[in-house]
Amino acid sequence: MGVTCVCPVPVAEGKSVQQTVDILHKKLEQLGAVKQGSFCVDCETYQSTGNTGGQPSKLLYVMHNSEVPLSCMALFEGGPCLTADANFDVLMVKLKSHFQNAKGHKVECRGSRYRYCDFLIKVGAVTMSSSARGISVEVEYCPCVVPGDCWNLMREFMQSFLGNNVPELPTVFAAKPEGLFAPADCVDTMTQYLELFNKLRKLQIPPSNVR
Amino acid sequence: MSEPISVGVNLDAFSHAISGIQALRSSVSRVFESLKDGMKNRETLEGREKRFISEFQDTLQAVNRDLNELERLSGLVGRPSESHPLHNSGLLSLDPVQDKTPLYSQLLQAYKWSNKLQYHAGLASSLLNQQSLKRSANQMGASAKRRPKVQPSTLVLPPQYVDDVISRVGRMFPDMTIELFRPNGTSAVLLVTLGKVLKAIVVMRSLFIDRTVVRGFNENVYSEDGKLDIWTKSQYLVFQKVTDHATTALLHYQLPQMPDVVVRSFMASRFICCLYTSFSVSPCLTC
Repeated sequence: MGVTCVCPVPVAEGKSVQQTVDILHKKLEQLGAVKQGSFCVDCETYQSTGNTGGQPSKLLYVMHNSEVPLSCMALFEGGPCLTADANFDVLMVKLKSHFQNAKGHKVECRGSRYRYCDFLIKVGAVTMSSSARGISVEVEYCPCVVPGDCWNLMREFMQSFLGNNVPELPTVFAAKPEGLFAPADCVDTMTQYLELFNKLRKLQIPPSNVR
Repeated sequence: MSEPISVGVNLDAFSHAISGIQALRSSVSRVFESLKDGMKNRETLEGREKRFISEFQDTLQAVNRDLNELERLSGLVGRPSESHPLHNSGLLSLDPVQDKTPLYSQLLQAYKWSNKLQYHAGLASSLLNQQSLKRSANQMGASAKRRPKVQPSTLVLPPQYVDDVISRVGRMFPDMTIELFRPNGTSAVLLVTLGKVLKAIVVMRSLFIDRTVVRGFNENVYSEDGKLDIWTKSQYLVFQKVTDHATTALLHYQLPQMPDVVVRSFMASRFICCLYTSFSVSPCLTC
């Protein structure tokens, strides 16, 4: 596990989500990246029932990442994160009385996985209830574990195929107090994905009329 | 059997033996001549027969005499001298079946080739010595005779001394931690951790650095049986390059007399290398 950065990519003008994704794939292949299969990141929303007082119920997000297929992550937005094994989904079914599944809110991101030297790039289309909402790009630099050290390198690499859509240093890393050290699990990655999904969810229905 | 007491004796016996052979040949041909000529002209048949038989007996006795003489002479000549310069390999040339077992000619070719090889190796070693790429503690030739005692001592050092030197070097750089293992006998294997960037495994032979492998901070340094894995290369290209650079550095710094200086400068170069590879490159301004 290295340092991961997840960022949204705006859809190209006059093109659909799938076409923009294809353009990005082509650019990566021209760079020399090798396709290594596909990936899938999904997120389900659970609402906690039985809250006291007028507090808005906290939303629990249960996420899966094909990079760690035997794991399942449960996190509150901005709060603690739990990493469990795949049976956690079954547990959530059993906890139906406390957590209700908001079925219409399932978000999925599917796409291809590319490898370029020590970089892992995943370009995928974000879909929510089978309507494409946006594009996400995840870039991971495997050898390094300290985000502050390799951020410039990753930024330069992303610039080579994303052009001007390069993001700033993710807030996840900026908020870390001690030495910007990324731990070995996926917590930071999933937090970034969650931010991205929530941002896309809040957008209006996208101009996916142009298919 | 007969060693040449003096070459003259053998030659004499040789020439006598050769003339003996000639005498034998002529007496044998006389026998056949007399048989061919048959009986000579005499008055009576008995006279002719007697004369023929007596001639025949004379010639046969001459042959007998010559044969005995030859046998005596051949006893004097003895075996051919065994001190020819080719020694045992010359015996291969004596009775060759040339097309089936061309042993002697192949042997000669092999000798010529090895002589050429030796000559070229001598040339190459004189050229390479000018480069001083040697890493061994032994120095060739005259210096070894002048100072016969210095060289071996730098290889046989007490492990405690090695530990002290390593710990001293480890204290020199704040971000660098060195752990010492001795998995195989007395040669030390160091696990050098540089900040949160990389881990390097340095295999030493007393105080000389033998080889090094650099891996990422998050890679596994232990093999399946819990020992330090000193052979697997890093899975990241960047650290494979760093391993190559580190190996170049350890080949560059080599002073057989002062190995602790070597270790110190190697660690210093490694530390600089770490600062360099902290991945924080500012954007290149030229491209």
